[in-house]
Amino acid sequence: MHNHRCSILCITPPHMLHEIVRNGSATQRDLALRTIVTSEQIRGLRRVSNSLASLVETPAASVASAAPGNKQRAVYDAQNGSGLPGNLVRNEGDPPSTDPAVNEAYDGSGTTYDLYFNVYGRNSIDGNGLKLDSTVHYQKGYDNAFWDGKQMVYGDGDEDLPTAERIFNRFTISLDVIGHELTHGVTQHEANLAYWDQSGALNESLSDVFGSLVKQYQRGQTASEADWIIGEGLFTVNVNGVGIRSMKAPGTAYNDPVLGKDPQPAHMNDYVHTVDDNGGVHINSGIPNHAFYVTALELGGYAWEKAGLIWYKTLTDKLQERSTFQEACVLTVQTAGELFGENSLEQQAVKKGWAEVGITLAAETTTPSGCLPSVMNALGLKMNAG
Amino acid sequence: MMQIIFERTGGFMGSKTSLTIDLDELPSDQAQTLQRLLDEANFFTLTENPPTHSAPDGFQYTIIVEDETGRHTVTTTDTTTPEELRPLLQELSQRARSQRRH
Ligand SMILES: [Zn+2]
Ligand SMILES: [Zn+2]
Repeated sequence: MHNHRCSILCITPPHMLHEIVRNGSATQRDLALRTIVTSEQIRGLRRVSNSLASLVETPAASVASAAPGNKQRAVYDAQNGSGLPGNLVRNEGDPPSTDPAVNEAYDGSGTTYDLYFNVYGRNSIDGNGLKLDSTVHYQKGYDNAFWDGKQMVYGDGDEDLPTAERIFNRFTISLDVIGHELTHGVTQHEANLAYWDQSGALNESLSDVFGSLVKQYQRGQTASEADWIIGEGLFTVNVNGVGIRSMKAPGTAYNDPVLGKDPQPAHMNDYVHTVDDNGGVHINSGIPNHAFYVTALELGGYAWEKAGLIWYKTLTDKLQERSTFQEACVLTVQTAGELFGENSLEQQAVKKGWAEVGITLAAETTTPSGCLPSVMNALGLKMNAG
Repeated sequence: MMQIIFERTGGFMGSKTSLTIDLDELPSDQAQTLQRLLDEANFFTLTENPPTHSAPDGFQYTIIVEDETGRHTVTTTDTTTPEELRPLLQELSQRARSQRRH
């Protein structure tokens, strides 16, 4: 089984597979997609076994324990308190609740799971089928959502205030918020980007990127059709704004007499230095957000297929705890080269995305590309760059 | 006279919400409520920890209470707040959110 998977990879370089996905017949497309997913599953095994020896000896057992595609969700109700997770109100397979927040958390985490599994071959947050826990109705008047290191937590917005004073609706209302929170879990299990300064802004940006991709995937929208708004529907009618952030045009999501203007920069020249918000992680994320948007638009089609794959593989294989914007630029360009070939249109699009926000490769480096490095990579082996 | 300064930063939006209350200027029942919440939180015995980084998208809170006898500052986050402080935090947060449109 394992050898067979490997031989498919060896015959067909990854960038060819993606070419087939784009231009091949229906059968070719299915086979190529399955191969791409398989290479992801081999990497998933690496996390389980963590050594080549055990990978070769017990691949079947590892696959069985991972139970790929078996999504497990649970939604809890904090009943306006702070205790987590709260009372279990909907388990995997249970019929819908009468409470919209419960159903939104359930369905939204399901759609997020589907994007990660169907497109990137990732089995849940940890790549190993971790149960997706969400708590709704956290506290009273809690106008926020967060990831506590183990689960997603959602407040009801400004429900405790008179209607005219309300700024926020409940936070489960926006599918990309759910994808954003769950992605914090993925990042924690992968690059584990430190949540402050540039590494924190990259952490935030990855959550926005995949949060937006979850929404685009669910709606079946191409890069040019998507709105690239984060937190659409969160604001009440009292606010002059379309959402919390815009990846397409950072700094334009809202402009309101009460909230002020969206402070996100779209270029390194406007990087915001602040001690608030862990060094402005939700502000400076506008810079890498926009780099992704430009890349995706340049490539056209469904953003999750190419731009999303490049970012995903960079997150899982390359980024590290204290990575900077500059390093993210170098590493996404490198990943694009490995997936689609050096100087491919895809790699050029990534460079263009970062250049647009004022970040370029410090020095042009050539990296090995094609079959061998990707297989070695899939098996968790390191290759000397050069 | 006693002053309470409340500040909330971070969160999904990454914005700052703040509020300053002079207890003398509040209707006496409201001032009494706040005084009671401060007492129940044992506010002046809570440690003045340096600010810590929040969980992803969690809030960071700073509460400063100042009177003739001195000034006490408590910083906390959603995931690290002691239970006895939560009612005060809730009250201050509601007041801060409510005054945004006034
Ligand atoms: Zn700085
Ligand atoms: Zn976040």
